[in-house]
Amino acid sequence: MTRGPSDSGPQGAAALRGSMDATTAPHRIPPQMPQYGEANHIFELMQNMLEQLLIHQPKDPIPFMIDHLQRDNDYVPKIVILGPPASGKTTIAMWLAKHLSTNLLSVESLIAKEYSPLAADARMHYQKFKMVPDMLLIRLMQERLKEEDCVRRGWILDGIPETREQALTIQTLGISPRHVIVLSAPDTVLIERNLGKRIDPQTGEIYHTTFDWPPESEIQNRLMVPAGIFEGETARKLLEYHRNIVRILPSYPKILKVISADQPCVDVFYQALTYVQTSHRSNAPFTPRVLLCGPVGSGKSLQAALLAQKYGLINVCCGQLLKEAVADKSKYSDLIQPFFEKEIAVPDNIIMKVLKQRLDQQDCVERGWVLHGFPRDLDQAHLMDNLGYKPNRVFFLNVPFDSVIERLSLRRTDPITGERYHLMYKPPPTIEVQARLLQNPKDSEEQIKLKMDLFYRNSAELEQFYGDAITLNGDQDPYTVFEYIESGIINRLPKKVP
Amino acid sequence: MTWCPGLSQSGARQVTGRKGRSRATATLPGRLATAQLDAMEARSSRELQARNYLEKHRIMDLLTYLTSALLFFRPERPREYLISILERLRIARLSGVALPFFMDNSNIASMFEMLDSSNKGSISFVQYKEALKTLGLCTAEEVLKDDGHGVTFDKFRNEVNKRTQEIWSAF
Repeated sequence: MTRGPSDSGPQGAAALRGSMDATTAPHRIPPQMPQYGEANHIFELMQNMLEQLLIHQPKDPIPFMIDHLQRDNDYVPKIVILGPPASGKTTIAMWLAKHLSTNLLSVESLIAKEYSPLAADARMHYQKFKMVPDMLLIRLMQERLKEEDCVRRGWILDGIPETREQALTIQTLGISPRHVIVLSAPDTVLIERNLGKRIDPQTGEIYHTTFDWPPESEIQNRLMVPAGIFEGETARKLLEYHRNIVRILPSYPKILKVISADQPCVDVFYQALTYVQTSHRSNAPFTPRVLLCGPVGSGKSLQAALLAQKYGLINVCCGQLLKEAVADKSKYSDLIQPFFEKEIAVPDNIIMKVLKQRLDQQDCVERGWVLHGFPRDLDQAHLMDNLGYKPNRVFFLNVPFDSVIERLSLRRTDPITGERYHLMYKPPPTIEVQARLLQNPKDSEEQIKLKMDLFYRNSAELEQFYGDAITLNGDQDPYTVFEYIESGIINRLPKKVP
Repeated sequence: MTWCPGLSQSGARQVTGRKGRSRATATLPGRLATAQLDAMEARSSRELQARNYLEKHRIMDLLTYLTSALLFFRPERPREYLISILERLRIARLSGVALPFFMDNSNIASMFEMLDSSNKGSISFVQYKEALKTLGLCTAEEVLKDDGHGVTFDKFRNEVNKRTQEIWSAF
């Protein structure tokens, strides 16, 4: 929805008036703005653009920004894979490159490049000294990364940077990876493994006599033994690697992940793939609007209270809201009262009105909310969605029936002090108190069973409606469940792996 | 600066590498100390360079304007919208056509009316300063002269236009 500049006058002025008449009162920002910002990742967009501007510092910022926006390559893979010899770096790098359809760069591929005077130079050097000087390698890499396909589809660096100096030079040139994977395994394993290494001269793929033997006999016949795989050579290379890697790792503090290479190749690959597809936590401003769903007794109210206490969110319990509306004798109390008296469910549109009133208040808009007890079925969810209250985190708490019975049927209340007890988790202190405890009729087994059935009938549709929902095991102690919920809110929503 | 972590630290370490090796200070702690000082200097010089760049081209103002436009108009395709605004800016600068201001004359008029609730034709100095601050056209420390007569609509409009023009001429 777009608005012309003429519309902005009164609204902009209204915002200004709000700030000016009481300069200490907070701005009333319409909730659509932060929702739009979150949905389109505006903060990250601007942050990436600013980073690029600062790295390259172009004389003419505006054409540079136009180019950057058109390229749209904020999320292409930019990966560095490091690891000791024989750890399976090249294999993992090749598989990742194929899976993410991106370009693979390694020392061999850079110097094998045709039509480049730099590469010819490097080849000469390599033949004489068996290594490429740092500056030459970095320039080759820079040249390669400027090419169109690397810019558009991203890159994976296999085994570069080899030393700290290379790492620093790369950084100053403005080339920074978004994910760095370091493979690690004990030295003895690596030396053993290296003895079985075989290379297919045609495709360049690496095979192993024990772990990764090609099934086709024609490949088996043409496999060659590469140079430098005997123990002495491997040990020397390992020493050098250990010397260098320790000084490279501190350059990539937050984007590093160490994966153990002492497991089957497929496992390493899957770990690497999941890591590479997660995006890091961003600094974007984020107002959590959390929805907790689960059967009765799953701990929703407790978790909501913990969240409200720790993060300052507003705890909106639907049942509580309705009871408050009746008790306050507000305009809705006459509408809701008869339903309470007859003990039937309050109709959706009345609930929605009360809820809307609460969620529109300034503190909910500003600090975010935790909603539980609503919606209970698909119609209610659609109703809430149409009115514009879209939660940005949804959690489903799963608790098996027996745990629910245990949690609820043992609840008791002391009629004299009003204190609530649980015969297993919080038993009453004295026999006297225990003797006079009463149970809420709603906590009887048949009632619980009815409510659970009701929930599970509707839950499948709700899970489908909230596609991004996170399902948690609610059958643990409350603080563990709380930690899971916290990590679900703080980290970005996981992208579904296709 | 939190926005460019790699930039400031790396520049520093690179200089440490070069200078640390060539200085012939006798003791190891002495060498380390000079390296540290060099590192701090280099870090701050790269940072200073970056800050100067930001100020010279008024990048933060531009980004604030772009973000406010995006959040206000909420286009379906944010990248294309940003590209269109930047193109208009580029053309405007080359050909001298009027720049796409966020608020035009009618907005300034409505804003003045809202501030001047009793319709006496002028707003107080405090209101005027707050309005400029909210629009991002003056900083909190800037001292504006108060001529004691209150600010009329013409003066308000001229001042807003003048400051907006100043900002835009840097892009």
